Amino acid sequence: MSLESWFAVRRELSPRRQKLLGLGSFLLPLLIWCVVSYVPFVWHPMVLVNKPGDVDYFQVDMLVDKASFKEESANMQAAGKVIPEGKPANPIYLPAPHEVAKALYTGFTTAPEQRDGKWLHESLWHSIQVIFWGFFISSLIGVPIGILCGTYSAVSRLNEPFIEFFRYLPAPAFGALAVAILGIYDGPKIAIIVIGTLFQQILIIANTTRKLDYSLLEAALTLGTSKFKLMMHVIIPGILPELYRDQRILLGWAWTYLIVAELIGTSSGITWFITQQARYQHFDNVYAAIIIIGVIGLGGDLILAWLGKHLFPWDRPANKE
Amino acid sequence: MQTTSFIKRFSARTVLTATAFTASLLFTNLSNAAAPLKVGYSDWPGWVAWQVAIDKGWFKEAGVDVQFEWFDYVASMDAFAAGKIDGVTVTNGDALVTGSGGAKNVMILLTDYSNGNDMIVAKQGIKSLKDLKGKKIGLETGFVEHLLLLNGLEKIGMKESDVTIVNTKTNETPQALASGDLSAIGAWQPNSGEAMSRVPGAKPIYTSADEPGLIYDVLTVSPTSLSSRKADWKKVIKVWDKVVMYINDPKTQPDAVKIMAARVGIKPEAYLPLLKGTKLLSLEEGKKVFVKAPGFKSLYGSSKISDDFNVKYGVYKKPMDIQKAIDPSLLAK
Repeated sequence: MSLESWFAVRRELSPRRQKLLGLGSFLLPLLIWCVVSYVPFVWHPMVLVNKPGDVDYFQVDMLVDKASFKEESANMQAAGKVIPEGKPANPIYLPAPHEVAKALYTGFTTAPEQRDGKWLHESLWHSIQVIFWGFFISSLIGVPIGILCGTYSAVSRLNEPFIEFFRYLPAPAFGALAVAILGIYDGPKIAIIVIGTLFQQILIIANTTRKLDYSLLEAALTLGTSKFKLMMHVIIPGILPELYRDQRILLGWAWTYLIVAELIGTSSGITWFITQQARYQHFDNVYAAIIIIGVIGLGGDLILAWLGKHLFPWDRPANKE
Repeated sequence: MQTTSFIKRFSARTVLTATAFTASLLFTNLSNAAAPLKVGYSDWPGWVAWQVAIDKGWFKEAGVDVQFEWFDYVASMDAFAAGKIDGVTVTNGDALVTGSGGAKNVMILLTDYSNGNDMIVAKQGIKSLKDLKGKKIGLETGFVEHLLLLNGLEKIGMKESDVTIVNTKTNETPQALASGDLSAIGAWQPNSGEAMSRVPGAKPIYTSADEPGLIYDVLTVSPTSLSSRKADWKKVIKVWDKVVMYINDPKTQPDAVKIMAARVGIKPEAYLPLLKGTKLLSLEEGKKVFVKAPGFKSLYGSSKISDDFNVKYGVYKKPMDIQKAIDPSLLAK
């Protein structure tokens, strides 16, 4: 177990060590979060008042910053009045892990208060549908154009300069326009995800297509294939594993647009839950929702990675992952 | 020969059917008698109040088909400006701003006036607006809190240039005040309340209760929808009266507050204080405000003051025609 064996340059570790480090990758941030939350002298810039004493504006369960708590304590002492008591605490914006865990549990188990309100899992399902359609429509346009751009210089020269320009434009800025055209429900939300994803998608897939080994194309052309067959039997199968990987990355990209997209039009989905809870400062619920999004995103990606292994058994790099 | 004439006849008929179909589509779009009225509402106690009528099924009882859509405030104005909803709940000042952008609208109902919910919240040690001289205040410029601050400063003979205004999103004012750079913030509930609970010793030094009528909240509708569906809008307004009675009656208030709290996702007891800073107006009370007069007692006067403010601060360039932006006729029995 020498250090040397852990840090061999460009060598894969044993499966056991891989798993260990994978686990550590999640435990480390959690540990930091726990330390900051539970060990008082690390951060805790506030004081949670449990006995207000004679300070007129203190209340039980009020968060006061350390300086003003000290000041008021000194004031009370000088005046010979009852000194307030409290314990160090973190600001409201950073709830402790156990609070978030509790919020996660109750979020799924509490029935919606409102008549015909939505359960948390229903809101989530709604959001997943918005993502799915956004990504699906984007791929429907982006994948063929990307492949054509990567294959024919003429297509690339005509399309890519504008796409390069457009990908810098902030998708949310088109929100009002999307509402004017597509209404107030899911249409504009899906449109924002499409705008956010499509232009990157075309460029990335065009690049992937350009990277296909030219000798494969040469061989096919020497054997006298038609352009259509070349596309169908050489180019597309040739880039498929790589394309699949690109799509996985792009799907993650689409997720990042979800929150922005769902702020447009009627309030819906998981974003409605997050913004509403943040407005009333229920940050445990906010973080719970953010964690759920992360879990769904990563979970989906792991499933796709596993699928990829079985779809493209000839693709060695994928199986190395 | 026969075939061609058949084709001709066939195509003629197709064209006719298609035209009729398109015409019928257009016609329904114009008259829209079958479609429900769409109203956008958002998180303000005076508008969350509609939820009571929605949950109780009072619109159906009144024989009007109306669909309420829940939005973020700014998103609701965008949707109205895009012509996707027939009516929207806004402040009278924002109704004018929306109209200046081309989305003409007519205020037909007063839901409430802000009675303390809009506040300038200052840190401990600052007792009044006077103490803010030379200090930083965080608020969303061009919004009602800005107007509230200037109104307060004017009363004590101060000018806007005597303070430094930091443009801050209303939703983020609690964090902004807590972070320590600002001496005060301007926000409405729930944000103003949150700011006070985040920053111990922070107190409201000037609120909308000091100038009742500075901020009226209204239901405003598109002129097209109003002219073609006047009877339906009248029914909607009738329901409002019922809502106000239900919320103000001590016997039914707990149930009303429960419905409203559920709409915004907080506990009923936490919602009660928010309701306190909102003076809901019954149709009788609303009628008195729908009278042309200068000053804050009248919706016309208050809107005129908002209009002057908007022009002065470049929210829009030309004064609006207030007479056209308000229609008191639906309140008449």
